Amino acid sequence: MWTFLGSDVMFFGAFIATYLVYRGKSLNGPYPSEILNIPITSVSTFVLLMSSLAMVLGLHYVKSGEKNKATLWILVVVVLGAVFMGFQFVEFREFAHLGLTPRTNIFGTTFFILTGIHGAHVTIGVLWMAFLAYGSHKGSLRADNAQDLEIAGLYWHFVDIVWIVIFTVIYLISATDGPPPGMESVIHG
Amino acid sequence: MHRVSKLSFPLRPAIFLLVPVAIALLAACTPENNQSTFGTAGPIAKSQADLFNFIFWIAAIVFVLVEGAIIYIAIRYRQRSPNDKLPHQTHGNDKLEITWTIIPVIILVIIAVPTLTGIWAQQNGVPDDKGEVLSVVATGHQWWFEFQYPDHEVVTANELHIPVNRPVAFKLESQDVIHSFWVPKIAGKVDMIPLNDNYIWMIGDEVGTFYGQCAEFCGIAHAHMRFRVIVDTEEDFQAWLAGMHTPAANPVAGTAEARGQTGFLTNCSMCHTTNSTTPGSYARETDTQIARWNTWIEEEKPTQVSAPNLTHFGTRTTLAAGLQDLNQQSLEEWIDDPSSIKIGTRMQAHASVYDTDDGTAKLSPTEVSDIATYLLSLKPSADAAANAVDDGDGEAVFAAKCSGCHSTGPDAGTGPGLAGVGDRAGSRVDGLSADEYIEQSLRDPGAYVVDGFSPIMPNWSSLGDESIDALVIYLKTLN
Amino acid sequence: MTTKSLTFPRLFPRPQAKWGIWSWIGTVDHKRIGTLYGITAFIWFIVGGIEALMMRAQLASAEASLIDPETFNQLFTMHGTTMVFLVIMPLSAAFFNWLVPLQIGARDVAFPRLNALSFWIFLFGSLIINASWLTGNAPNGGWFGYAPNSGTTFNPGLGMTYWIVGLNILGVASIAAGLNFIVTILNMRAPGMGMFKIPIFTWMTLITSILIVLAMPILAVAGIQLQTDRVYGTHFFNSLGGGDPVMWQHIFWLFGHPEVYILILPAMGIVSEVLPTFARKPLFGYPFVVFAGAVIGFMGWFVWSHHMFTVGLGPAVNTAFAVSTMLIAVPTGVKIFNWLGTLWGGNIRLNTPMLFSISFIAMFTIGGLSGVIHASPPTDSQQQDTYFVVAHFHYVLVGGALLGIFSGIYFWWPKFTGWFLNEKLGIANWALMMIGFNLTFVPQHWLGMDGMPRRIYTYAENMGWENSNLASSIGSFLLGVGILVFIINVFYSMMKKKMAGADPWDGRTLEWSTSSPPPEHDFDEIPQVKYRDQFWFDKYPETISEYYGHNDDDQAVPSGAQIDDDGEAAELPVVSGGADDGHGDGHSAIHLPDKSYYPFILAFGLAIFGTAFVTDGLVLFAGAPFFIWGLLGWSMEPVND
Repeated sequence: MWTFLGSDVMFFGAFIATYLVYRGKSLNGPYPSEILNIPITSVSTFVLLMSSLAMVLGLHYVKSGEKNKATLWILVVVVLGAVFMGFQFVEFREFAHLGLTPRTNIFGTTFFILTGIHGAHVTIGVLWMAFLAYGSHKGSLRADNAQDLEIAGLYWHFVDIVWIVIFTVIYLISATDGPPPGMESVIHG
Repeated sequence: MHRVSKLSFPLRPAIFLLVPVAIALLAACTPENNQSTFGTAGPIAKSQADLFNFIFWIAAIVFVLVEGAIIYIAIRYRQRSPNDKLPHQTHGNDKLEITWTIIPVIILVIIAVPTLTGIWAQQNGVPDDKGEVLSVVATGHQWWFEFQYPDHEVVTANELHIPVNRPVAFKLESQDVIHSFWVPKIAGKVDMIPLNDNYIWMIGDEVGTFYGQCAEFCGIAHAHMRFRVIVDTEEDFQAWLAGMHTPAANPVAGTAEARGQTGFLTNCSMCHTTNSTTPGSYARETDTQIARWNTWIEEEKPTQVSAPNLTHFGTRTTLAAGLQDLNQQSLEEWIDDPSSIKIGTRMQAHASVYDTDDGTAKLSPTEVSDIATYLLSLKPSADAAANAVDDGDGEAVFAAKCSGCHSTGPDAGTGPGLAGVGDRAGSRVDGLSADEYIEQSLRDPGAYVVDGFSPIMPNWSSLGDESIDALVIYLKTLN
Repeated sequence: MTTKSLTFPRLFPRPQAKWGIWSWIGTVDHKRIGTLYGITAFIWFIVGGIEALMMRAQLASAEASLIDPETFNQLFTMHGTTMVFLVIMPLSAAFFNWLVPLQIGARDVAFPRLNALSFWIFLFGSLIINASWLTGNAPNGGWFGYAPNSGTTFNPGLGMTYWIVGLNILGVASIAAGLNFIVTILNMRAPGMGMFKIPIFTWMTLITSILIVLAMPILAVAGIQLQTDRVYGTHFFNSLGGGDPVMWQHIFWLFGHPEVYILILPAMGIVSEVLPTFARKPLFGYPFVVFAGAVIGFMGWFVWSHHMFTVGLGPAVNTAFAVSTMLIAVPTGVKIFNWLGTLWGGNIRLNTPMLFSISFIAMFTIGGLSGVIHASPPTDSQQQDTYFVVAHFHYVLVGGALLGIFSGIYFWWPKFTGWFLNEKLGIANWALMMIGFNLTFVPQHWLGMDGMPRRIYTYAENMGWENSNLASSIGSFLLGVGILVFIINVFYSMMKKKMAGADPWDGRTLEWSTSSPPPEHDFDEIPQVKYRDQFWFDKYPETISEYYGHNDDDQAVPSGAQIDDDGEAAELPVVSGGADDGHGDGHSAIHLPDKSYYPFILAFGLAIFGTAFVTDGLVLFAGAPFFIWGLLGWSMEPVND
């Protein structure tokens, strides 16, 4: 799993690098400063962080053999993950409504593809967790194979951490980005 | 167990014999070749060739030592009998390891010094002490080269003229995909990348014609994207520049040239201009670069297709981006069926004159021949003043530019007869006065097309405001 | 991930067949998977070779019109893509699969079903890319796919879409295989086999796998970005929305240069096994060869812009990358010198595998030296995108990787099959390949220096390129004949069946200690390891002191001690799969993972997803049942019943 995560780091790394290189290069609006809603995204970030906490608790109870508590906490992970995806869905729809799509400008392109790929990771994680919660409920996920959940947990924490990086890079760092200075010269090359 | 092969030995040296054989075959590799990087005609190419030779000889020494060692070891330590005693099972030798780490480092440092000097000498702009710099903007198109001389308001295509022993600083652009600008005998290449300006400078120190070629894969006609660099003496170069501002003689009515001019105006002039001689036309022409770029991206089938400027085409030596010698016959073949010379050319794909089943031009052999004759006649007129059109003289401008298609009487030619246009113009389009309508017809001919005629009239904005105003006044006088 | 008590309805029983096609589709045996990789890759090798010969036929004379430019562009695009992704990489994977468990004394890889999945995904990915020929949409934007020429504006056909989909699918296969081998090598070594006792080929596998795992995601990102540009109209690489085509080049070569080492390191590993065996001496300077490989793998990340010296990145960037590129020649040189040191004073048997390996050193050296020449940006500005570069990397990839692989084929063939390949035909094979190869590519150096650009489908008569091109074309056909001799050799030897014992070459590493071909469970008893080249020292114990006697750093583990700091890892149980049988004392009952159809089903579903891009989005729904069925079935199927 660690090696897989190493691989995934390169994957996200390349997307985030693309975003950073292209940051502030959009030739037409909407620009990040006109569209990003930091308070709402902070809430969804908080939701995702809490899911990691639930993950830790879930693993703890699986290891200590408390089946119901374990199932409950894993379900909490599933629900929080789904809520995060709900936030993202609403955000995407809102942006599309405000005129930002992947085709609008380079900010739209890099933003949607990066967060979309992350969203896909979260979705996979939610499905995986749902599967494990079902296993826990049925009693097939026990202390002796808690490793199954531990691995899934590694994945979940990783996706969480990646989001923190994305949140920092897109929402916090570039929230004030407008059109690039000297835009005309870029256009006329 | 297994035995030593008897066969292997006689064969072994054979491969090494083959290298000299191959080299002998390659006697064809000579500096005289048109694009040889050894037969240099400029200081930059020469320093690059010198650096190549320097590294090559170091590499050659390493090559001989390593390959010699391989052969020596293979012979010296070959198994003579399966019963040979086991060699010493050595572990390694740290001192040797350090030695053969350090020696390559030293060799590489020796190579790195001239390398770094070379980078900074060649890639960091033109040094101040090289003399007066000529600026050129070179633009790559699928699949030809455009050259602008911004300080001289000159545009040309596929044949670049530069003065001998003067530094030329190029700004490299691309109109579409990535190309690469390369004149092997004068300097190494730099890529032409859309909306990423690149720079290269070079000096030609020998008068003559040199070959250039696009070196970055750029699509179907990549192999056929070539150009020539003509290094002139300073006097010849100045004469060439002056010629580019001298209009060609107007064809005498009734000659092949005059018929060819009509054919050209009807079929070719939507994309090709022959007029970079009029003051002010240069600026408009370079402006259209952006328009062209945007249509590439925005439109399914681009309407604004970039096409080579044909000003004084008759002075060129080659055809279709350096593919063939330019003469009446080759030009006729090209006009009739461009892909017989250059598969994939955009001219055939875009111009409506090629909109036929087999892709050949909708023109009779005579028409093709006339257009070719006309194009070859395009040269700076010896008697420039006599032929110059006074921009303020609407009648003269009409005779030079419009009379190929339009008569001043009622008879329709390729375009409508213009008798009485002054009376009609005011009522043609609601909201447009006579002046506005005529001006629109010149600047945006597609906006209103008279019934029964094809929308083939070129955009005449390039004539300049003065000429257009004069034309409007003249046209209104026609009854 | 095995939740054992969950049951999933089985549509058909777990595969049991030992022979026939179903036994291959359900196999999780690393040896069988290795064979599948080898055969598939060799078929693509023939396809890629035919593509090359068609191009050489066209270029044999000036202004030839055998092949039109569009087809020519498709041919060179597919030749490059095929040879890199469908030939050299999977041929290396064939060796990884066959040899790594055998060399480290394990019974299988760490995740046998994942291993099968890798192969099936690779197979389907390669079929998708090549299916483009049948639909008349072969990729035509070069194996490097430079934007914007690869975007829809200038390349509206489906070709590049096939290319991206195929590469992304292949990427999944490579990453999965890479993960598998990293875990296998780290966790499943025989007791006592510390990291500095594993055979050098396994070391190179480990480094290659790490490179694959880190580099292939970058290609995936490039592919996804280009794909969204093409299919959904995003602006990663077109300038309208602010994108930049140079970005593609950075991302592609950031993957692309490590990829070069992914291609060459396995061959270096093979040569490092063959030379000691036939010189009857241990590898000279083992730790230095390992470190040189690791340094190459590490530095390979810092040289990508040397593919971009003419892009106009500025003198400072070019200086930095020129220096890093030259430095990478140092560890490469160290390897070459250590190979020479291995041969020096040896007792050299010049048979086919050895001839190929020695030729590898000779040819690879040429490729390395021409590489140093255009590591210098001023000279490279004349050579970039010319035939000089073509000659250079063919010396590295054919003279290097391919000769290494052929050496490995002749060397391990008796181990894989139990019988020898014919020696005389082998030498004819080698000689024809060497003559043909040099005749093909030596003249291309001259062509490059004479200013012939790459990727042109024809050239003018007055350029002086005709003789060299003709020589090159003749050479390429000789090379083709050489490959033909190899194929003949395989069938001829199959009829003759000259049997080889377990240890036909007087080998040094553990794979020679088991029978040829090895039993399904590889080893009757898991070997105990004390030394590098354990098997050699088992045979020649009197030489132990010669090797170990003079160097304190590499003292053998004292007899009886099972665990050193690295060897400890071998004792850890691993997550799932065949790990159960890999550890312990070697006397326990032999557990082998059961066969499974689910990898095949899952890969099939994934492949159908991929084809949605070149057909219709609705096809996704056709793939989904297979994908979900494969995934769920796999998750709930225990490794063993």
